Amino acid sequence: MTTDGDLVAQLRAALSPERVRTDPMELGLYARDASMLVGRASVVCFPESTEEVAAAVAACARAGRPFVARGSGTGLAGGATPVGDEPPVVIVTTKMNRILDVDADSRVAWVQPGVLNLDLSRAVAHFGLHFAPDPSSQQSCSVGGNVANNSGGPHCLLYGVTNAHILAVEVVLPDGQVVVLGGLDPEPDGLDLRGAFVGSEGTMGIATRIAVRLTPLPPTVATLLADFPTMADAARAVTAVIAAGVVPAALEMMDATIVEVVEAFVHAGFPTDAAAVLLVEVDGLSGGLAVVTDVVTSVLARHGARAVRVAADAAERAAWWKGRKSAFGAVARIAPNYYLHDCVVPRTHLVEVLEQVSRICAEQDLTLGNVFHAGDGNLHPLIVFDARVPGVLERVHAAGAAIVEACVAAGGSLSGEHGIGLEKRDAMPLVFGPADLRAQAHLRDAFDPAGLCNPAKVLPRGGTRCADVADLPEGVWI
Amino acid sequence: MTRGRVLPLDLDELAACVSCGLCLAHCPTYRATGEETRSPRGRIAAMRAVEAGAEAGPSFLDILGTCVVCRACETACPSSVPFGHLMEASRQAVADRAVPWWQRLAYRTLEHPRLLAALTAAGAVAQRAHLVPGSLRRRLSLPELPLRRARLAATGGDVWLLTGCVMDAWQRPVHADTVAVLAAMGVGVALPGPGAACCGALHSHAGLHGRAATLARRVMAALPGPAPVLVDSAGCGAALKEYGHLLGTAEGAAFSARVFDIQEWIAARADLLPAPMPSHRRLRIAVQDPCHLRHVQKAESHVRTVLRPYGELVELTDEGRCCGAGGAFSALQPELARTIRSEKTAVIDAAGADVVASPNPGCAMWLAAAGVEVRHPMEIVAAAAGLAAPR
Repeated sequence: MTTDGDLVAQLRAALSPERVRTDPMELGLYARDASMLVGRASVVCFPESTEEVAAAVAACARAGRPFVARGSGTGLAGGATPVGDEPPVVIVTTKMNRILDVDADSRVAWVQPGVLNLDLSRAVAHFGLHFAPDPSSQQSCSVGGNVANNSGGPHCLLYGVTNAHILAVEVVLPDGQVVVLGGLDPEPDGLDLRGAFVGSEGTMGIATRIAVRLTPLPPTVATLLADFPTMADAARAVTAVIAAGVVPAALEMMDATIVEVVEAFVHAGFPTDAAAVLLVEVDGLSGGLAVVTDVVTSVLARHGARAVRVAADAAERAAWWKGRKSAFGAVARIAPNYYLHDCVVPRTHLVEVLEQVSRICAEQDLTLGNVFHAGDGNLHPLIVFDARVPGVLERVHAAGAAIVEACVAAGGSLSGEHGIGLEKRDAMPLVFGPADLRAQAHLRDAFDPAGLCNPAKVLPRGGTRCADVADLPEGVWI
Repeated sequence: MTRGRVLPLDLDELAACVSCGLCLAHCPTYRATGEETRSPRGRIAAMRAVEAGAEAGPSFLDILGTCVVCRACETACPSSVPFGHLMEASRQAVADRAVPWWQRLAYRTLEHPRLLAALTAAGAVAQRAHLVPGSLRRRLSLPELPLRRARLAATGGDVWLLTGCVMDAWQRPVHADTVAVLAAMGVGVALPGPGAACCGALHSHAGLHGRAATLARRVMAALPGPAPVLVDSAGCGAALKEYGHLLGTAEGAAFSARVFDIQEWIAARADLLPAPMPSHRRLRIAVQDPCHLRHVQKAESHVRTVLRPYGELVELTDEGRCCGAGGAFSALQPELARTIRSEKTAVIDAAGADVVASPNPGCAMWLAAAGVEVRHPMEIVAAAAGLAAPR
């Protein structure tokens, strides 16, 4: 049995004394990510290279100590929350934030995992390129975190989620070995282990170098803002746009609650008297763009849009997107806590599911905001509350469970992009049978036979061989 | 409003952070380190931990002390968490332990113009005689101090000009240029007495709330009447604009409403600006946004309005990120401040400008110490219009 002291000494020898921390207050800051789930870390360390990550992981493996990788900590499902009977070591990748190589001709860049998503896009903008996955947290979230969660974003409707933009990943496996999964070839031989790793939520190792596909910036862009008298009208318009044969770059919905708080932040001229607002972006060559814009405008108008505005310039477009992408962070204007769901439902069921979600929250007397990727049916019901009010957590809890059940009953899934993490782990049996869960557990065990790598995440109790999945530690709130 | 049990902050303001992390990339110390203890989100989490009973020990002091208080997180925060208030109130609670005697002494010096002038003269001689020890020189990174101060005289009573402490001692030519530009616009400037020598900004940032409030009342008394109070130091301007919050009085709020950054006030009258001389060479000017101009006064656009007739403006690509000066920050956290500055100078170099315009003396000196060619916007205007005071 390795004591904490031995493990800390080994980590300090492997990294540097200064980059291995055990101060209780600092550990407390790494007890959670942007979700509400709070765990406990035993050590926090900051490696600066693949070798240091490998050495830290190897030290944990020797000590039989679980570890959790963490990037910017903007995850919303508790994926980076350290939990376990033995508090895990948190391995933070934020100091590994260099763009290692950009090959503009091949449209590939190798980056370290701590590079921020938006920093990467800005750094390659002068080549006319960008990194297409654009989560709302893109100014702060790291590429490593995007890989772990297979992150989406408004523009993934057209460009695909993170998995489509990752060519290869250098991974420190849970025993400390370093391997490269995938490759730059058009079709690497063998099983697609890269595909298995992307979206594994830190349960199969730690990415230390990532080859990302860079996407040309669209030649021209038009952004439309449409406001609707009812949510149902807006939802029907979403289905109609896609049915008309248009795949917009992005198709986002915000309800009145959300529009009010984001307008208070960005002052972008959002219609605060609308029941729902659609933000539609189309891009492409200038000749086609006008035609597509007209098609979208007329479809929106036919489905009850009171007004459709096209962004006058880049500044207005940026302001609209800033509003959309700030929505979660802005809800503290209503109340200090939020609980965000991430279910996906078939687009054709949007109207009825939105009504159900609204009814569920009304029954529990909870404030609801909706801001979501309507184009791919990825709902983000956002329950806003003050956790200091007695009894409110139980109601939030009950509403959350009912929302997930309603979405699954409509043929949906648990998470569009935020991941399962800790938050939706125990809902997995709603969508997967025992055989599915077993198969996933086998794959995970193949990567992490000792069960040390971000334990207690993704797969429900009994879904893996690890005994420590049995109970959540005290203080964890799901 | 409910005050905290341990920290004298507003608990509702403390609760307003949802920990989304959208502030992280805008925080200069998080940028430099990638650590939660150096981030707005982490600092707020630490304040909450202390409110919940954790010890406000050395690590808490370190978490508070390594914040520049640039307040970029406030601009970035979708919920507009008033981080500056939370930080200043938290520092107030620990000031007894966090601010050592020598720091208090330094802040006190700023309140006494004659003492500051004498020290400046002594320092100027010492610098020229190479008597300043290398360690001190590196820690303070002072500019070359003036041996003699330029003359500065009132020209009327339309507006007040805050003269301040270090700026009046070390950068009086900027004041002189400001007065000259205003005179060319037909605006007479009144100068305050020694009561307005120190705005209390540094005291306030350090958590020395009582002293800051005393200085605020003294400044208000030295700048009476209805005339607008113009400030050519962005940090001081921000401090004066917050007297309403600092003092919590209607009188303070009314005074704050009279305060304008010099560029802000001139931009509203830009048609009166003097024309550039025919011989003036149009420079490529990169505008450096002092944090307290951009995030507290939200007046950065006015600097551009004022400078546009005199040169070609070049935008820096870092969304106005902090340069690391931060009032006393560069002296108190020199290593962190240098890391932040090196990123800033890289962005400045990439912009390829002839000169950097900085409307804050602290930023200007800190950047100049790294070899950047820096001028106050008023110096640029005065030089272009042929009004510059003799140096």
